[in-house]
Amino acid sequence: MSDIEEMLSVSEPKIDTERALARLRARVDAERIAPVSRGASAPRRVAVNIWVRGLAAAATVALVATLLTVSGLAETILTIFEPKQLVAVPITSTDLNSAASFGAYGTLTWTEQPKPYDVPDIRTAARESGMTVLTPSNLPQGVGAPRYGVMPKTTATFTFSAAKTTQAAAAQKRTPPPMPANIDGSKLFITGGPAVVAFYTDTTATTGATGASGATSTSGASPFSGMPKLIVAQGKPPVVQSDGVTVDQLQSYLLAQPGISPQLAAQIRAIKDPSSTLPVPIPVDMATSKKVTVQGVEGIFVGDSTGLGSAVIWQKDGIVYGVAGTLTEQQVLAVANSLH
Amino acid sequence: MEVAERLRLGTAPGQGLPPAFEELFRKEYARVVAIAHRVVADADEAEDVAQDVFVSFYRKHPAEAHYAAPWLYAAAAHTALNVLRSRERRGKRDAAEAMRRDGQVPDPAQAAETAETRSEVRAALGRLPDRSAALLALRYSGLSYEEIAAALGLRQSSIGTLLRRAEDAFRKEVTK
Repeated sequence: MSDIEEMLSVSEPKIDTERALARLRARVDAERIAPVSRGASAPRRVAVNIWVRGLAAAATVALVATLLTVSGLAETILTIFEPKQLVAVPITSTDLNSAASFGAYGTLTWTEQPKPYDVPDIRTAARESGMTVLTPSNLPQGVGAPRYGVMPKTTATFTFSAAKTTQAAAAQKRTPPPMPANIDGSKLFITGGPAVVAFYTDTTATTGATGASGATSTSGASPFSGMPKLIVAQGKPPVVQSDGVTVDQLQSYLLAQPGISPQLAAQIRAIKDPSSTLPVPIPVDMATSKKVTVQGVEGIFVGDSTGLGSAVIWQKDGIVYGVAGTLTEQQVLAVANSLH
Repeated sequence: MEVAERLRLGTAPGQGLPPAFEELFRKEYARVVAIAHRVVADADEAEDVAQDVFVSFYRKHPAEAHYAAPWLYAAAAHTALNVLRSRERRGKRDAAEAMRRDGQVPDPAQAAETAETRSEVRAALGRLPDRSAALLALRYSGLSYEEIAAALGLRQSSIGTLLRRAEDAFRKEVTK
């Protein structure tokens, strides 16, 4: 027996599997725990759900969310959404899956496409983004060197279309409420970024580039394989301008769409100052969230329900920051608070 | 047995668990408990961890998933490590008490000493980075390099090196 084996030795537990199974059945009954629905996503998709879908799609969802919170005055182009604070909005996977995509309500035309690209170092990232790029002074064990990416400022115009909405709904055999006449044809001008993202490698994983041995983890068995250990992102939040629809009309119209649950609609209606609040979607069946203090301001901590990953997001001085990784809550908060 | 258990626990029978899930549970439960037990060194706590791990899997993944076993092993290690760390935060006495419950040593003095040593060893395990601690837990619960690689999303060829590093780090922590 090796020394480690001896140190970690434990007495043989007496296991009664049937009794344990009965205990689980009772718990599932008592807590009305629902199993995953059929055709559930593969593990890599789960990782995507938690992080990539959480982070990358944050832009899309924020966009949809901004739609839900816009206000404006006819005939005038006004800044109707410029977030100064963040709020967590719990969403269920049903909300995510059944809500119609952005494209169902009209046409999105990119005037400046979101084209992220790699840059060699932090100085280039700062120069190209026009922002002061913050770096952490506190890095947990196992976190390696960063690789930087820049997403330049992106602009898009969204034009509502009643005809397209009807068409998209018909294809899904749904009947949406009719689009009010003044929304049909109206435009939203959306600006996002620039943003800088730093990906930190995991030094505890082999970083060999060839992968020719075949004995890699590319089978996707682990939800976290291939993920960077730590991601630090910062960017200017999205700003929306409108050529004219009222917040009440747009909000009632969009929140009445099939697929928007009453709970989600209520959460969004409860946002006190919709024109300056960026809703951060929290997938409730995969993650938990709570308010935390980061860099002296209020932020949102998000932990995935397996306890393997954490993220924190906050806004300060007109910039939205995010730190995420396969780290503990304390580690993620320590990294976030050490940004300078 | 099932009905009796439900009556004992005061719960009404629901729709039951899917047969595929029950099959997975029967196949992997002992191993999941063993991994958690290796970390927390308390049989009751290890079974609680296993219950949470299976509930978590049940909520989010289909029982037929090809990744079911590695997912369960990784979740067992990480969840148990979280339990261990929160126990350490609650205090040494709590930790030693858990070890004593699990000790089964007849002589009280010897039992206390064994519990103390075990508690210190677990505290050292809890101080290791997550991946290193999980590697040790999985390896010393009898998983093969292939199974560990699948569970932790690592290359099989790097497990040996990572394991040696984790063992060195663990020895250092224990002797601190």
